[in-house]
Amino acid sequence: MGTINLANSKGRDAVVGAQTVASVMKVRWLDEQGRQVSSARLMKSDLAHDLAALESKAGGRDRIAQMLVEGDPEIDAENFGAMLRETSRVFVDPDGKIVHRVRQFEVIRNPDGSERERRPRQIMHPNAAAEIPLKWTGKLFRKKDVYNKFVFAGKRQIVHVNGLTYDFLYGMARELETAESMMLLGAGPKGNQPLVLTRGGQQFRAFLEGRTQGDKYCLIMHLSNMELKPAPVSAAAEGGKDNA
Amino acid sequence: MAKPLVFMFGGVEIPLALSKVERADLYGFAEIETLDELGRKCQLATLADDGKSVIPAGGTAFASLSPEGHWLEKKTLVPTDNQGKRIEPVASSYAAPVPLENKVTIEAYLSHNIRAVYQVTDELAGPDFGPLIDELKRGTIFQFPYSFRGGVEADAGFLLLSAEGTPFFAVGSPTKLEFVGYEQTAGVTEDQADGEEDAVDFGMM
Repeated sequence: MGTINLANSKGRDAVVGAQTVASVMKVRWLDEQGRQVSSARLMKSDLAHDLAALESKAGGRDRIAQMLVEGDPEIDAENFGAMLRETSRVFVDPDGKIVHRVRQFEVIRNPDGSERERRPRQIMHPNAAAEIPLKWTGKLFRKKDVYNKFVFAGKRQIVHVNGLTYDFLYGMARELETAESMMLLGAGPKGNQPLVLTRGGQQFRAFLEGRTQGDKYCLIMHLSNMELKPAPVSAAAEGGKDNA
Repeated sequence: MAKPLVFMFGGVEIPLALSKVERADLYGFAEIETLDELGRKCQLATLADDGKSVIPAGGTAFASLSPEGHWLEKKTLVPTDNQGKRIEPVASSYAAPVPLENKVTIEAYLSHNIRAVYQVTDELAGPDFGPLIDELKRGTIFQFPYSFRGGVEADAGFLLLSAEGTPFFAVGSPTKLEFVGYEQTAGVTEDQADGEEDAVDFGMM
């Protein structure tokens, strides 16, 4: 479980727990005899046998068909089907050779795909458990006004780590529940920056919601990185997205 | 256009056209370009255990194996829960009209992680859409089980009106939120550094 540095409406701050709450269904697959099966990752192909390699070997794409008729140049009988265990991610150049020194750039594109900006890649650093606590911005949004304004793609449940932080968080949950509102959380010195939970991770806007049940509480940090609104007409016309 | 989803409301079947809305459609997106020392674009690949086989994207496959190591076809396998009880597969939501009967609260909706949203249009529904829109305008949130192609588990589907007045269909998963009392003090460990993900330009509000 991770931690988060949070401040309340009185400016008091504390490092508390932030646990993920995604519910994953555990499925065990059994064979026809009722025995548990195992999963394995297998090699299907490699760069030495892909289209570019065959083209180079055949001397032209139009000559690949003849190679395929005469033999099985696309198959490495020794290695294909082998189980993969300890693999590594590498970068390869257009010749298929592993590259050891690379430069990375971010290409920012508009919704229509046109390039807006190109810059050296910036790695976002986590800011939720930093020295500067996430500020109680006081920007309250009524739940009935905000639930259908943003897409809440993720959540973290904020939990206490000792007796003092129990009172701290229960008070927060009660305050938010009484106001029937969610509060915008901000990072950084001014409390206006989006949250980054992991190194290189996405940025999210976070909204804090509180619920209580007697002396128990549930403090939820809702994470959103998009609004619930229609796409502009030009993007929608190019999309024609399928269901998923 | 995507396949329409047919709902049953007030005894009437209403086919609704769906158009997926993604973050990239609203704000644009960022791509990571990797260049070598000569300025040529590089691709990400996988180096196999032997240290010399380089596997491109799409060059691996997942297999289900018997205890003896034999290949098993997925369709012959039986899904069970962690108690060994067989899980009955759910049908595709496109196989039959989805009844809109279950109304949920805002808190119930907020207790789900939403992973996809689709703008709903009435180009197929005609006049039958009016009563449904009127119900949504009252702030009603309908919940129903949703599965695109059928499978082991259905997601949670929601039909609701956005703040701007556009009907949306949202697909989500329930979360395991729970009320905690004083005695349930959490044990905290330091976060492990996750693998790098692509940073996304965030332009909201």
